[in-house]
Amino acid sequence: MYTANREYIRRFGPARLVEHWLNAGTFILLVITGLAQKFHDYDISQWIIMSFGGIDTTRLVHRYSGIALTILTVQHILVASFGILFRKWQPSMVIHMKDFRDAIDNIRYYLGLSDEPARCDRYDYKQKFEYWGVVVGGMLMAATGLALWFPTVVTQVLPGQFIPAAKALHTNEALLAFLVIVTWHVYNAIFSPEVLPLDTVIFTGKISQERMIHEHPLEYERMFGVTLPRHHGKDEEPSEASAAPGHGSTPSP
Amino acid sequence: MTVQKSHLSAFVVLVIMLSFSFSGAQLSETDQACLGCHEMEQSMHFGNGEALSLKVNPHEVEKSVHKIIGCSSCHGFTPDNHPKRSYRSRKEFSSLSARKCTRCHDTNESPIHKKLIDESATKTTCTDCHGAHNVKRVRELSKGNQYCLTCHNKELEVHYKDGHAEKAMIDEAVLNNSVHKSLSCVDCHVRVSSEDHPIREFRNKREFSMVMAENCRRCHFDKYSRTLEGIHFKQLTEGNVKAPICSDCHGTHAIASARKDKLANAQKCEQCHKDIYAIYAKSVHGAALIKENIEDVPICSDCHKAHDNAGPHTADFRISVPQTCASCHAKKEIMQKYGLSTKVIDTYLQDFHGVTMKFYKQYGQTEKQIAVCIDCHGVHDIARVRNQGAAVVKQHLLKRCQKCHPDAAANFPDSWVSHYEPNFKKASLVFLIDLGYKIFIPFMIVGLLLQIILHLWRYAVNR
Repeated sequence: MYTANREYIRRFGPARLVEHWLNAGTFILLVITGLAQKFHDYDISQWIIMSFGGIDTTRLVHRYSGIALTILTVQHILVASFGILFRKWQPSMVIHMKDFRDAIDNIRYYLGLSDEPARCDRYDYKQKFEYWGVVVGGMLMAATGLALWFPTVVTQVLPGQFIPAAKALHTNEALLAFLVIVTWHVYNAIFSPEVLPLDTVIFTGKISQERMIHEHPLEYERMFGVTLPRHHGKDEEPSEASAAPGHGSTPSP
Repeated sequence: MTVQKSHLSAFVVLVIMLSFSFSGAQLSETDQACLGCHEMEQSMHFGNGEALSLKVNPHEVEKSVHKIIGCSSCHGFTPDNHPKRSYRSRKEFSSLSARKCTRCHDTNESPIHKKLIDESATKTTCTDCHGAHNVKRVRELSKGNQYCLTCHNKELEVHYKDGHAEKAMIDEAVLNNSVHKSLSCVDCHVRVSSEDHPIREFRNKREFSMVMAENCRRCHFDKYSRTLEGIHFKQLTEGNVKAPICSDCHGTHAIASARKDKLANAQKCEQCHKDIYAIYAKSVHGAALIKENIEDVPICSDCHKAHDNAGPHTADFRISVPQTCASCHAKKEIMQKYGLSTKVIDTYLQDFHGVTMKFYKQYGQTEKQIAVCIDCHGVHDIARVRNQGAAVVKQHLLKRCQKCHPDAAANFPDSWVSHYEPNFKKASLVFLIDLGYKIFIPFMIVGLLLQIILHLWRYAVNR
């Protein structure tokens, strides 16, 4: 359950924090060992592979990190599915038409075409984009990775060309994931002026009330049963009265 | 003898008178008397039917170092005492005549002379080399190789301890055709000179050849030092005298440039490696060389090296195979002649096996095995892939795949795009995936970066 006080609102339980950092760790290991193989002609790649003790060890580390990420992904899908099934979790990651409208609204706001940014719920469209990228991309990487690991098994039933196709998918999807993480995710979590120097939510599990109102106004309103004043160009602190936490509200994860 | 004794006295008078008018005054009267008859065309016949001209050229005699000793010193005849003799053969005649040389010349002084006389007095006689009527001082003989050839253009033989004999006769024409034609005999036959011709005893011909081959390094030291790394030298040191030495591949007196004739070069290896040569001869490379005389193809030494051939079973040799093949197959100027792609190397090097090979090589993990060119294409039996049906190639390839991937099924060979860079016709699925991402990745990343920039801009404006 979430503990809400004046300054900070709990957003993630410890399990989700651990999950994120396990994900991050295996992802980093996979990126290092994987990109070194993809760009094997570069000196840095050769240094990395040599540091791991040769190409065979590098591949071994890559494959076992891959298994770890697969387990994490599968476990997450199971936990989330059962969580939603038994009504412990809200299906807050489901993509709605509103998310596309929010993206357009936000871009219009950035361009100065509207006065107000999109008003998002528990997860905004940027977070949903990354979440589904990780889940769907993770499954794709696991499937193609296994095909590359066991090509003779795959070609017992599937055409041979599926192996180079799996490699093309694996290597391109990996590059895409890497680039999205180093641009989009790193910007949003570290360099964005709204979180600079660091978005601490993923360390503490708590978000400040100010950011909550700014970034997840719909969730905030539902959580505390209040109606926030609409933005008019500039971020405004909610008034003391309207922002008063309403006890007994049901926060949705 | 065919000269009739009844005519003899009449001739003698005539000859003495005539010889005074024709010959120089230096020859003794007796000799001039001999020449009186022997200046004329006449011949003697031997028991075996051979004939020998008895005509003597007086100028030869005059120039000879022996002109002072007179005809009878060697022949024993005088104009007054000229018995008729008959000989079985010309050789018998000359060897019996040559025995008289030893009356004045001590053959023990020179070991080679003694050996020749002792061993085969009936075969080789003094006159064979030194001449008879024109015998000269040794210092007046020709210089250089001609000095050696004075004797060695004759039917001489050398004998080995194992009883085998071999001709010691050298064909001057062969010498003059060799790349060593400007060298002297003694440059290679180092212990022999015009002063000294020691007798050397060898167990057999092989021993002699091996000792002689030691002399090649006097000039070709670079090649010699490379052979020290070679498998053939290793076998020699292990006592295999059949392992090749310089002369087995390069020849001896007929030594030729190894670069000139590729086929001849390959055939040198065939001498010992017959079965492998037979396989090579049928391969795409061997057939092109042998049947079509195409010299762009590799011969044995192009892949195995010549002097520093360390053998094909070393890990280093195996891992260098792609580099070996690339030395021709990555060269446009050679490949375009035959319509072959130079991308075969790159496509291999960028694929799983090639990358693995590269890293094994780079970090010296050469003992680890990974597929290189020969594992799919074969070694000496490399065949043309182009004109075979795709199904045949695939079937052959599957067997090769199964060497490392024992559970590979019929579909498995297709997982290799056959040295093609994926295009719409070949490997269309791979091509489309690559193309899709080539468009999608920049689209996505540029889009995200634009959002970041817009976000920053809006934030700055709001402040």
